[in-house]
Amino acid sequence: MSLVETAEQAKQDAAYKEALVEVLYQLADDDFIISYRGSEWLGLAPHIEEDVAFSSITQNTMGHAMLFYQLLEELGEGDADALAHERISNERRNGTYFEIKNGSGTYLEEPQYDWALAVVRNYLYEAFKKVKLEEALKSSYAPLRNTADKVLMEQPYHLGHWKTWITQLQDSSQEAKERIQSRLDEAWKQIGDAFELGPKADDILAKEILSSSETLKQRWLDSVKETLTYVPNGDLASELGNGRAKEHTDQLDQALATLSEVYNSDREAVW
Amino acid sequence: MAENEKKATFYKTYEVFSRKNDKSHAQHQFSLLAPNEEIALAMAQENFMRREDVIDVWVVARDNIRKMTSEERKQWTKRLDNKDYRNTKGYGYLRKKWREKEQEMLDEKEILSWKEVARK
Amino acid sequence: MYNYIEHGKGATAVSTHQEDPEKYAEFMERIEAGEKIEADDWMPDEYRQTLIKLISMHGISEIMGALPEKEWVPKAPSLKRKLGIMAKVQDEMGHGQLLLRVAEDLMAPYGKDREDIMQDLLRGDLKFHNVFHMATKSWADAGLIGWLVDGAAIITQTNMLDASYGPYQRALQRICAEEVFHAQHGEAIIMALAEGTEEQKAMLQDALNRWWPALLMFFGPPTAETTGSSKQEATIKYRIRKSTNEGLRQAYLDKYLPRIFSLGLTVPDETIHYDEEKKKWIYQQPDWNEFKQIISNNGPRSQARLRLRKIAHENSAWVREALATPVVTA
Repeated sequence: MSLVETAEQAKQDAAYKEALVEVLYQLADDDFIISYRGSEWLGLAPHIEEDVAFSSITQNTMGHAMLFYQLLEELGEGDADALAHERISNERRNGTYFEIKNGSGTYLEEPQYDWALAVVRNYLYEAFKKVKLEEALKSSYAPLRNTADKVLMEQPYHLGHWKTWITQLQDSSQEAKERIQSRLDEAWKQIGDAFELGPKADDILAKEILSSSETLKQRWLDSVKETLTYVPNGDLASELGNGRAKEHTDQLDQALATLSEVYNSDREAVW
Repeated sequence: MAENEKKATFYKTYEVFSRKNDKSHAQHQFSLLAPNEEIALAMAQENFMRREDVIDVWVVARDNIRKMTSEERKQWTKRLDNKDYRNTKGYGYLRKKWREKEQEMLDEKEILSWKEVARK
Repeated sequence: MYNYIEHGKGATAVSTHQEDPEKYAEFMERIEAGEKIEADDWMPDEYRQTLIKLISMHGISEIMGALPEKEWVPKAPSLKRKLGIMAKVQDEMGHGQLLLRVAEDLMAPYGKDREDIMQDLLRGDLKFHNVFHMATKSWADAGLIGWLVDGAAIITQTNMLDASYGPYQRALQRICAEEVFHAQHGEAIIMALAEGTEEQKAMLQDALNRWWPALLMFFGPPTAETTGSSKQEATIKYRIRKSTNEGLRQAYLDKYLPRIFSLGLTVPDETIHYDEEKKKWIYQQPDWNEFKQIISNNGPRSQARLRLRKIAHENSAWVREALATPVVTA
């Protein structure tokens, strides 16, 4: 497949464009929902200095979502803000594991947030994101290659940050070890759909927009096994549904209702 | 000692230094609390250099810094103003001498400009 | 292992001027000459106590102050606003970090650390600014905090940029530089609302009406008699700040009232006017008894916000415990 240089060029091949936007929605929606969950943590982290550092990662990640939404905008999918705020849950393609709440309660009341979930989920996510973006560097869609390249520039800090936390906690106190392990067990049951490419998988591969689901999964497993001292038994599962096929939990609905509350109060207004 | 109590803390003080670019020296930024240097380093950059260029970050446990005491600062940092011989200020008369010999003084500006002079 | 403390690493002598009249005189001479005092310099106990009170309250107010705005962080109405307000609230946490570090170093001779600050807060012994006890009911409140609460904070903080205590003054240089971004972030939200739909304008006016008394209270009572306590005398004597509470409030009204009016907004005080003769603003005093109630953690959202901090602190106790490293203390 020869390189597709511009959005205009991509739009000329309907099948290509349809497959391409699936990949872009996955990348954008993953970054957007995980950064939304990160924004709920603001002010509530275990340590003030960590709160500040974590927030930078959250902001960077939302910035990455914005870059991918802009690629969709160029392809005629609507403007970035509308894509982020207007789409309901069965139009979203993020992995379901990334949408689940940070703990019981809400960020406004009784936020019983769990730092073990934050550490495990963010670490696994950043390791996954690195693999997926590195594969995107080989994409037939040049603007995706360029954006992946840009994002990979600041993403190593994110991965390094969470790797430090998980490395330290997994081998510390008995309580910490147990909390991390049980969150890893949970992740293994819920993260499976993240590696899927969705309903257009065949075209995505045929048109060399991204590498296969198996490649992503294998490279990710190889990388996290180097860091984790405990790896759950069994295959990865998707107990919450297949987010790449727009299946989601009601926890995503809760997130969408909150993040678009003001936006939806008047979609025409300038905020 | 019997009255010494072994205690564990998450709150160790680390001093944070950073370099802005290849030409700048490490500069002290601020201090932060962390349980160990890896966590300290994982947090340092975003706590103090969010809005500036940074190419390197150091964290140092405060306990490992021997700084001057209050008294030492007062007593050891004062100097007499009689050290012209250490600076070009003490050799300013040369400018006139060289001029008499129709030569230009090789001053700091001149000498530092030589980095651009290519050897043939 | 040894009960031996090296100089500069252990407890600084905590003394009062009654015991050391000579040192006290030398200290006052230094600060009056504009010299800066460092953490390990001799200082009168009253100075240390005043600084600890002021800076720990300032620091914890930043931490608690992150919470009211944070309510609107996930809800901000566009990607750009989400990022802007996140960066702004992050800065508040960052300012809290800077200030608490300064306070912690001053408290070290008493064997206290950050955990004690948190416990003091949760017990109700450490107060935080009145404005952060208030509810944030709409997106306009988020903008108004950035514009007018931060505006008030800028007035009080710039007044201390030459403070005699070196570490505080250095932290304030960093903080004030970032406040410029905060002010503009707030102004951007306000400007969009002020130039927006009728609903947006009404939302903004409603926010201002609700916040006005709290904004006046921000600077504290004009005299000690009003509420029975005021730290302003000691802070001025020790060259920590320059102006009185009322002086700062007047400076704030000077700078912000014309801007408020220029946006077509009103303040809920029909009597407010500038007295040309006295060269000052005449305004309706806020209810200082209510102020006392608010800062005693009986404000509209005091207990709810403290509850958030308590949950956050307790839920992550296992993290701090897991990574704690042994130290030997005397």
